[in-house]
Amino acid sequence: MSSIGPAHIPKADDSPRSGARLLIDALERMGADTVFGYPGGAIMPVYDALTGSSMRHILVRHEQSAAFAADAWARVTGKPGVCIATSGPGATNLITGIANAAMDSVPMVAITGQVATSYMGTDAFQEVDIIGMTLPIVKHSWLVRDIGDVSAVVEEAFHVAASGRPGPVLIDLPKDIAAGTTTHTRAPSFDNRISGEDDTNALEHAEMMIAKAKKPLLYVGGGVSIANAVPELRAFARRTGIPSVATLKGLGAIPTDDPAFLGMLGMHGTKAANHAVQECDLLICVGARFDDRATGKLSTFAPHARVIHFDIDPAEIGKLRAADVSITADLKRALPALHPVGMNTAGWISHTRKMKDEFAFTYDAPGEGIYAPKLLKDLSEVAGDSFIAACDVGQHQMWVAQHCRFMHPSAHLTSGGLGAMGYGLPAGMAAKLAKPNANVVAITGDGSIMMNIQELATLKRYGIALKILLLDNSSLGLVRQWQELFYDRNYSETNLSDNPDFVQVAQAFGLEAFRITRRDETEGAIQRLLAAEGPCLAHVVIDPRENVWPLVPPGKSNHEMMEE
Amino acid sequence: MSKTIHLELDRAEGSLQRIIGLIERRGFHIDGMTMDGEGAHRTLAVHVRPYDSSRQIDVLSRQIDKLYGVRRNVPDEGAVSCVMQ
Repeated sequence: MSSIGPAHIPKADDSPRSGARLLIDALERMGADTVFGYPGGAIMPVYDALTGSSMRHILVRHEQSAAFAADAWARVTGKPGVCIATSGPGATNLITGIANAAMDSVPMVAITGQVATSYMGTDAFQEVDIIGMTLPIVKHSWLVRDIGDVSAVVEEAFHVAASGRPGPVLIDLPKDIAAGTTTHTRAPSFDNRISGEDDTNALEHAEMMIAKAKKPLLYVGGGVSIANAVPELRAFARRTGIPSVATLKGLGAIPTDDPAFLGMLGMHGTKAANHAVQECDLLICVGARFDDRATGKLSTFAPHARVIHFDIDPAEIGKLRAADVSITADLKRALPALHPVGMNTAGWISHTRKMKDEFAFTYDAPGEGIYAPKLLKDLSEVAGDSFIAACDVGQHQMWVAQHCRFMHPSAHLTSGGLGAMGYGLPAGMAAKLAKPNANVVAITGDGSIMMNIQELATLKRYGIALKILLLDNSSLGLVRQWQELFYDRNYSETNLSDNPDFVQVAQAFGLEAFRITRRDETEGAIQRLLAAEGPCLAHVVIDPRENVWPLVPPGKSNHEMMEE
Repeated sequence: MSKTIHLELDRAEGSLQRIIGLIERRGFHIDGMTMDGEGAHRTLAVHVRPYDSSRQIDVLSRQIDKLYGVRRNVPDEGAVSCVMQ
């Protein structure tokens, strides 16, 4: 922050306040009505001050969950999520969640206690250099060395987290700073990074390219939702008729049941989406970043296409694929400015719709066992427009992306960039707290749920009516699938057939829980799960041999998909 | 072939680590660097070389521009940000 100076501005109310009190007051001022955390030694002054606060503090049972929950809170509410942990292990336990927020551009303010400044650098009890450890995964971080800086740092932290391309920030608060008092606080200083003017030449150039294109395609990423530009994207897609594909995080920006939406692209994308990308002559990338899971072999990705790249982050332009026209702008402003005229794309639109019909998923799998894709499709349709899926990571995550109906990106909480198992349960917990009337379902696997299963206690403690759909194939399914396909069926450490009885586990935590094993039980299970008044877990036993299809093998082009 | 990036750093926690870490993490060797200055700001010249041809100095420059507490010095209006050695 270039303009932050050392000057201290006396407050009107000059009664001394502790650093912890200033922190809590500032959080309240910034609108943080719900925070997730876990107390410990160095953060005790903050927890002491918290008891007088109007903020709701959710006590998680592992700091990683606090970070995941803060991440999901931000995705659902659009406001920065806040997580709090003590120094040392509390702080290091946050790291996976901070990295998750960094990879998926989620605004988060992580607050860690630190040992007192006089102990810092002495290998004191529960001392770690959390600033140093998190440097690669935060937008910015502050070690507060002056009590008078506390309020300003909190305000600056919220600003940095939420502005431009959002991301996580960290405030490290030494115990003596939290416990000490001051009557002086400095004013915050904001460093605005967003360029104010859109490049009208680039926009006109983009319009011309779109107008001339015979086979244009929208490649929609998570940036659309982050920019709150879903209506603007939909309006642009409607007025141009351009078909679209989406990344994992872009799902729902165009409703997944829109006739011109071809599905997710990439490694587990639909055949129609991947073929359209390979055939298109103009790729309009909107808030996406040419991630390797989306592009497959980069050198053969969209080989016939010129590229228009919209992104608020200038560092994404040309990072992996050169753009013919780049527009570094707020999508909410840029998309409405595009009005290409004289388009001649009827043949292309018709062709993509035929591909969509021809390659559509089918749900008539043989046998009596539960077919997870059909179950997930039905669940999302029955849950309706208020459905929010909080996914874990693995095969079930890809099935959700392929088969669920999403009307908005914020209805699909998923660990996209980091792929962090253990995200689903705390994310679902936060989503249900943020949207108590929504049909929030944590969709998890038998591997993933064990990564943060302790949060069942949090659901019980606060009566959070999260619904959990646990798809149990007694294995680490996606790794097992790769072992089957690419490692000569050497199933190394992926067999989880000695899982605990998940129904009993859930019941031991005080949750309602039940199990289904047959296809004819799925309809009733969906009804029961959604109707349950409190938290409820449905344990769904599926065939361990089931795989996710299609699949683009590593190092291959997106059109070289393997199919069942 | 190295290129030099000229920077101004705030005297803030971790600012030097932040810039050096970013440069290396994004796929560039640091062949040398000089730092100078007193007070609130320091100037830094970093000689960088990409690990391979896929790493572009202009992308690195834009990634540096995203850091808080670090500013890239562009010598003249309209001039390229990184000067050839």
